[in-house]
Amino acid sequence: MKIYFELNGKPQYVEVEAGESLLSLLRRLGMKSVKEGCGTGECGTCTVLLEGKPVRSCLTFAPKVQGKRVTTLEGLGTLEDPHPLQRAFVEAGAVQCGFCTPGMILTAYALLQENPDPTPHEVREYLVGNLCRCTGYVKIVDAVLLAAQWKREGQWR
Amino acid sequence: MRLRGVRRYHWARDVDEALSLLSAYQGKGAFLAGGVDLARSPRTDLEGLIDLTGAGLSYIREDGKGLHLGATATLAEILSSAQAQEYAGGILRETLRLVAYPALRNMATLGGAVVSAHPWADIPTLLVALDAEVLYRNAEGEKRMSLAELYRTDFRRIFRESVLLEVLLPPLPGAFAFEKIGRNAGDIALLNACAGLALEDGRIAWARLSVGARPERGERLPWLEEALVGERPSEALWRKVEEEVRARIEVGSDRRASEAWRREVAGVLVRRALARAAGKAGT
Repeated sequence: MKIYFELNGKPQYVEVEAGESLLSLLRRLGMKSVKEGCGTGECGTCTVLLEGKPVRSCLTFAPKVQGKRVTTLEGLGTLEDPHPLQRAFVEAGAVQCGFCTPGMILTAYALLQENPDPTPHEVREYLVGNLCRCTGYVKIVDAVLLAAQWKREGQWR
Repeated sequence: MRLRGVRRYHWARDVDEALSLLSAYQGKGAFLAGGVDLARSPRTDLEGLIDLTGAGLSYIREDGKGLHLGATATLAEILSSAQAQEYAGGILRETLRLVAYPALRNMATLGGAVVSAHPWADIPTLLVALDAEVLYRNAEGEKRMSLAELYRTDFRRIFRESVLLEVLLPPLPGAFAFEKIGRNAGDIALLNACAGLALEDGRIAWARLSVGARPERGERLPWLEEALVGERPSEALWRKVEEEVRARIEVGSDRRASEAWRREVAGVLVRRALARAAGKAGT
């Protein structure tokens, strides 16, 4: 079956299997930031934004995005022009192996849309579904708080 | 995740269309809303998926009968709804914040939680304490019954050929509190409990108590509800209840927790839930 949706601002009209996951579709379309960790919704590294809200692409049937907006990390920033959240993760040293980072950044992006001035506890609460096995989370929370500060100072595009 | 064998995906525009699509598949079709449970238990027998999220069942509204929660309202939608926030002193918000994590709450629906009825889930424990009623429709028509009663039937068979339309939460006299213990903040429950109390002249006039993930699904403790009526809330009473729950509750072991651990913790959770509910009810 064919579906139409918007991926990182660009229209897509693509063939999908009715029982395929959004994760599988996005990787076929070259969005390699979207990773399969557990495949059961526990780890959070496949997180993408659907209509601006975080969802697990591994548990989302691809046809569900028909007519909707999907954002992956590729839609947030590039190597040449990183998003402030990406810069904050570098600045704070919040990346080690990097496997969880796309999901962390997209979830943090949604948090800061909802709540531009979160407490460290609120950051931890919002990121509870995103697992990192390297950092111990301290620097990830620091990075999100730094990005939030930059956002409040008007440094976000 | 990939459900192999599924050939078609339908967006049902209303409940009648959903039921007729389902019957056309003769057992090889399935309803889904958020899809999270279907995606996690890959089946190989399905040819068609029927998405209910466009069938007009995502409403949240209040009338004289209570709070009507459409079956495909997501947990996030309920969390951010002003009507849901006001119901029974905000117990829906208090509980749903503890269920999974934001991304899953954006996908999972209340109806999905009711129909999947995982024994470790928090939502059945909450809803039976709130005297929830469900409304569902199949080829024979619509049927309304209490959720507790539904769970005593072969409800999994019922929902193979019925659409859950809504959960109705009746107006209740009391204040509620929900307690949950998991391995971490995003974990499923090792044990959960919900308490509701209404006070009159300093005595308990009405009580609701449910405990779930025992590891069996959440059920009320009618013997304790009855015993509480007429008592004066106090720390001594809660300590006594804790001991009685520990002695009498039916709990078991699974790979996540032992029977002995659940017995110990059930008393603690019930005590905490009762003390907080009494505080909210205004002791």
